[in-house]
Amino acid sequence: MADLPRRVVWWLVWVYPPRFRRDVGQGLVDALDDRMRARRAAGASNVSIWARAIGDTLRNATAEWGDALRGAVRRSAFDVRRAGSTFDVRRSSRRTLDDIRRTPNDAPRTLNDARSTSNVERRTVMDKLLQDVRYALRLWRRRPGFAFVAILTLALGIGANTAMFSIVNAVLLRPLPYAHGDRLAVLWAKTPTRPQSLLSWDEYLAYREQKDSFDAVALWLGQSVNLTAVSEPQRIVGVFATGSFFDVLEVKAERGRFFTEEEGAAGTAKPVVVISHRFWQRHFASDPSAIGATLTLNGLPLTVIGVMAAPFDLSSVPADGWFINYDVFMPVGLFPVPGGIANAGPGMLGVTRLKPGVTLTAANANLAVVSSRLLAANPKAQTGRTAEVVSAQESMVGDSRTPLLLLLASVGVVLLIACVNVSNLLVARAVDRQREMALRSALGASRWIVLRQLAVEAALLATASAALGFVLGRWSLQGLTWLKPPSVPIPDHIPLDSSVLLFTFGVGAIVALLCGLAPALRMTQPDLNRVLQAGGRRTTGGARVTRDALVVAEIALSVALIAVSGLLIHSMLSLRRVGVGFDSSNVFTLQFRLPTSKYSRPEDIARFFRETVTQVRGVAGVESVALVRRVPFSGNWGDTPFTVEGRPVAAGQEPRAGQNIVTPDYFKTMRIPLTRGRDFTDRDDLHALGVVVINETMARTTWPGDDPIGKHIKVPDFKEALTVVGVVGDSKHRSSTEPAQAQLYYAHYQLPMIFSSLVARTAVPPMSLTNDVRRAIWAVDKDQPMWSVVALDALVEQSHGSTRFLASLLAMFSGVALLLAAVGIYGVMSYSVMERTHEIGIRMALGASADRVMRGIVRRGLTLTAIALALGLPAAIGLGRLARGVLFGVEPSDPLTLTGAALLLASISLAACYVPARRASRVDPVVALAEE
Amino acid sequence: MPLRPVEFHILLALAPEERHGYAILQEVAALTDGELELEPGTLYRALHRMLKDGWVAESPRRPAADVDDERRRYYRLTPLGRRIATAEADRLWRLVSIARTHRLLSHG
Repeated sequence: MADLPRRVVWWLVWVYPPRFRRDVGQGLVDALDDRMRARRAAGASNVSIWARAIGDTLRNATAEWGDALRGAVRRSAFDVRRAGSTFDVRRSSRRTLDDIRRTPNDAPRTLNDARSTSNVERRTVMDKLLQDVRYALRLWRRRPGFAFVAILTLALGIGANTAMFSIVNAVLLRPLPYAHGDRLAVLWAKTPTRPQSLLSWDEYLAYREQKDSFDAVALWLGQSVNLTAVSEPQRIVGVFATGSFFDVLEVKAERGRFFTEEEGAAGTAKPVVVISHRFWQRHFASDPSAIGATLTLNGLPLTVIGVMAAPFDLSSVPADGWFINYDVFMPVGLFPVPGGIANAGPGMLGVTRLKPGVTLTAANANLAVVSSRLLAANPKAQTGRTAEVVSAQESMVGDSRTPLLLLLASVGVVLLIACVNVSNLLVARAVDRQREMALRSALGASRWIVLRQLAVEAALLATASAALGFVLGRWSLQGLTWLKPPSVPIPDHIPLDSSVLLFTFGVGAIVALLCGLAPALRMTQPDLNRVLQAGGRRTTGGARVTRDALVVAEIALSVALIAVSGLLIHSMLSLRRVGVGFDSSNVFTLQFRLPTSKYSRPEDIARFFRETVTQVRGVAGVESVALVRRVPFSGNWGDTPFTVEGRPVAAGQEPRAGQNIVTPDYFKTMRIPLTRGRDFTDRDDLHALGVVVINETMARTTWPGDDPIGKHIKVPDFKEALTVVGVVGDSKHRSSTEPAQAQLYYAHYQLPMIFSSLVARTAVPPMSLTNDVRRAIWAVDKDQPMWSVVALDALVEQSHGSTRFLASLLAMFSGVALLLAAVGIYGVMSYSVMERTHEIGIRMALGASADRVMRGIVRRGLTLTAIALALGLPAAIGLGRLARGVLFGVEPSDPLTLTGAALLLASISLAACYVPARRASRVDPVVALAEE
Repeated sequence: MPLRPVEFHILLALAPEERHGYAILQEVAALTDGELELEPGTLYRALHRMLKDGWVAESPRRPAADVDDERRRYYRLTPLGRRIATAEADRLWRLVSIARTHRLLSHG
């Protein structure tokens, strides 16, 4: 036991330089031991004793190392030349009696001065470093090709990484830029069939009272709004919200004020509106008299009471900041639903700001308590309903995490491959200088000099490439944000962040380390004799192994990247091939919203519908027209619970189906097949019996084995039961990848709604008819705004946008990686052929045929490739597993993709080996042998 | 390069007799009335330097067996070291004399 502290003390002393340890280590251990014992006897705590011992060791060991290195430097070759003779140099490091007598004025004042280095010595170290830098620059000037290639390669790699990290930072890492963005959470209602559902007014009132968990709760929903009573009626985007909405987000009014909770609430809502700064600029030309002006929105005259200041630049935030990218903000009490928002049931989104320090789990527990209270108070409405808060940031960008991280990993791989290439270049150069280094060593230079020189060169390379890479990265960022499809939540402007600078700096440091490591390792133990005797540019085995290892690494990384890229491309193609259930070509679509003031009765709306259909049908080039509540792939969707007559279900447990409302001819226009029964007709109107058309999946799951025609279902939207009159094919509504689900369609003339859309199949390219269709609708109502005029094809393509974007980026990175790897392999093979010229010459002189030589080289290349594939393919599968979230229709271990990637790499390797191999086979033995 | 105070103290401590490391530390503390309490690392750095310069050397001899710890390394002044110490002492004496004539000394 007594020996234990002593052994630990030995470990402390081990920190000192070897020479020091050898000379006085034993004594130091004794002294430390004694000191510690004495301190313990004096009553000091163990902690302080050890702390002092460690502090002492660190201080003095560092100083001792500094001395040791300086001593080594002083004995270097440069000094040998300058001092004139080795003997002088050795002597000058010792102090003599004369030194003491001669310089009394330099006597250090304190013990600390004595311990620290003198100015003279410090300058010497700096000088040395600067000398190395100048030397490196001289070398580069002599061989600009090398420097150019190396810096450019690394700069491209670093640039790509900087760009990707900027995006990852802007989307995933930066918190929402609201005042307390990290505390914002989305409040969802939760039902057994839908975990993220809309809230009702009563639920809002109950949750609003939870002061324990929430600073504030708000209800909101965005909607298109018609702006009329202006020279050009237009559609703007508005939000219906409670007064607490502004409180939750902590936004400020730059002019006027916001409406209060009371002014916004159901029953007490005032006809007021708050406008956004952007709308104020656009519509009122920043006129201060906007406050108090009247805006006619959806036919209602509302008074402007305030202008909201945007708390941040909306275009620099993912998903445009989500909550406030609207033109106008209206009281939720004015929400246009029959009976008012208080009686409308669940229909709005919730947002809340958590109290500081409250976790999501705690808040959710709180919500559970309130939900049960709600259930007890109103079992009919609240059965099966609870609530949940989810971090707002997560809701906005959670989906992007996998693809963005995948992209970041990919550019990381590309950078690694670039580092390998440059590293090989540096090793080759170091080998060239091996002879020079060996001579120096023989003359007294320690290998520290060589190492330091290589380190400085690598650092210089890394700095230059990092600087250039940073600039390239910012440029390419511009290109990326320009190319990206709208469905990807990358902000339009990504401002420069200190994190990005730090990241680039960090990456530069890692690059320096990686590139400098291989040549440094190579240089640690040059065998002087062998190198000096061998002459020429022959490498010892070590260098070759290092280079081979690097090439294997390159190929392995490339194959992994290419395989994943292949998986993404496969996914993209699968997406394209997936049937959406309708024919999206040549279909014209637009959306509109009728003002309730002009169309207050269902009959009026129905009349507008009929006239519109008639008018548009008359447009030349239109084959068929229909109206539909929500166009597929437009981002709008809805569903409804339903009960089958004769099958009672507990409240809250009803099955749900996707719901849409269509006029007759919709299925014909969209080319959705009608498999049973009939389509809607004009006679299915407000005076007729309620009818419904269902899809195959609903027919199959609700009445398996039975004919659904004539059966009855009940839905909340209709008082009477609906009769099933037809069955149509399944079609996708939200995305190509959604699973098949039950869908039902109401007749639009039986449920006319102010929000609807028009779809028309055209004989000519759809967009060419835009003006004609518009005119046809204006012939019915000249004040009616329309928007989202787009071809259905474009909508469907857009939904694939993010996968396509991801696949293209990955393909691009893989291409670059492949190029770099090919260049790397070629370089290594060329170099190895060149240095073995002598050996090849001998072989050929002894009778080996050119063919044989060539095959030998190629065989070596393929062996390396095979090893690399053995390592790279499992890595590819691993990477594919990580990317599972973005794959579609293909497994991470898809054999076709893996084989393809392997074959691609193998052929590139073969090609890259070919030229050097040919060169080897053409070696003239006479010339080769004479070379040495 | 001049003499560092640490080194002078060590030379002083070793002047009367050879000592091992910890004894030097104790002696230096005694010489300065407890003002200068060296850490072992600092001491040995200076010792190492002086060993290299040839001012001190390891002593092969051992004092009487009853006060000896066999494992310890003892250090002694070399003749060069003694001359260095003398030179420094002289230098300091000269300075002190000048100080005395200008009445800067607090002790007689």
